[in-house]
Amino acid sequence: MEFVHKIQAATEEIFATMIFLDLTAGEQIDQKVEELGCYVSAMIGLSGGFNAILGLHCPAAVGMAIGGAMLGIDPEEVDEDTKDALGEITNMLAGGLKESFATEGIDLFLAIPTTISGNSYKISAPSGSNRVLVPFAIEAGRFYIDLKYSLA
Amino acid sequence: MGKTVLIVDDSNTMRKIVSRALRQAGIDFSEILEAGDGQEALDVLANNQVDIVLSDINMPNMTGLEFLKAKAEDEAIKDIPVIMISTETGADIIDQAKALGAKGAVKKPFTPDLINEVLAPLL
Repeated sequence: MEFVHKIQAATEEIFATMIFLDLTAGEQIDQKVEELGCYVSAMIGLSGGFNAILGLHCPAAVGMAIGGAMLGIDPEEVDEDTKDALGEITNMLAGGLKESFATEGIDLFLAIPTTISGNSYKISAPSGSNRVLVPFAIEAGRFYIDLKYSLA
Repeated sequence: MGKTVLIVDDSNTMRKIVSRALRQAGIDFSEILEAGDGQEALDVLANNQVDIVLSDINMPNMTGLEFLKAKAEDEAIKDIPVIMISTETGADIIDQAKALGAKGAVKKPFTPDLINEVLAPLL
């Protein structure tokens, strides 16, 4: 099952269409989320052909840059608008993956996105889950798209 | 005379973006109303003269499809056109939405031009 290119394509489409920030996609890496130096994480669940949690993790400055560009504002902190914007990005990203996998006969269902922030948190997935972590860079810094999945 | 549009989405961010896209598309709306889910949308329609509704599908409390069903059963509002704006634009879901009265669909992410293309024939 191929994930990396689908994640890159869906993320690039969202940034080109609705955020308008220059974006560079990286190759898959292998790191724990708590090692990434992130302050905010938006997540959405997927179920059906496989079960997954799709996350967007980023430092505060990157989250504010993305949310601000999306909304046309200049946030001074990771506020509710910023968190809502990041949640909506994961929603659109999950929708892009759903559409892409549907062409391969794999049906997926989306949950409602949620966003958390703070200086210290861990995100755990059921043991045995597979993981794909893809970094992206914008001028304000890096963010990460993280898919933890298990085959249904 | 400008039209009144109702934007239904549980994301405050997305309601703002859709609202901005409508202005960028150059469509003449006199008023833009908002609702956070299907039930709120029914309440807004019961108390306002709305010309067109733009609704998300995947929402808590009452989904976009449940909203369409409830709206179709209400004689007073059943003829108000609804366009779905959602990440959920697979053929099966859009077929369900159209069977419940939706007039079209726009996939997120979207551009103002795409919004205009879908809305213009209905205004």
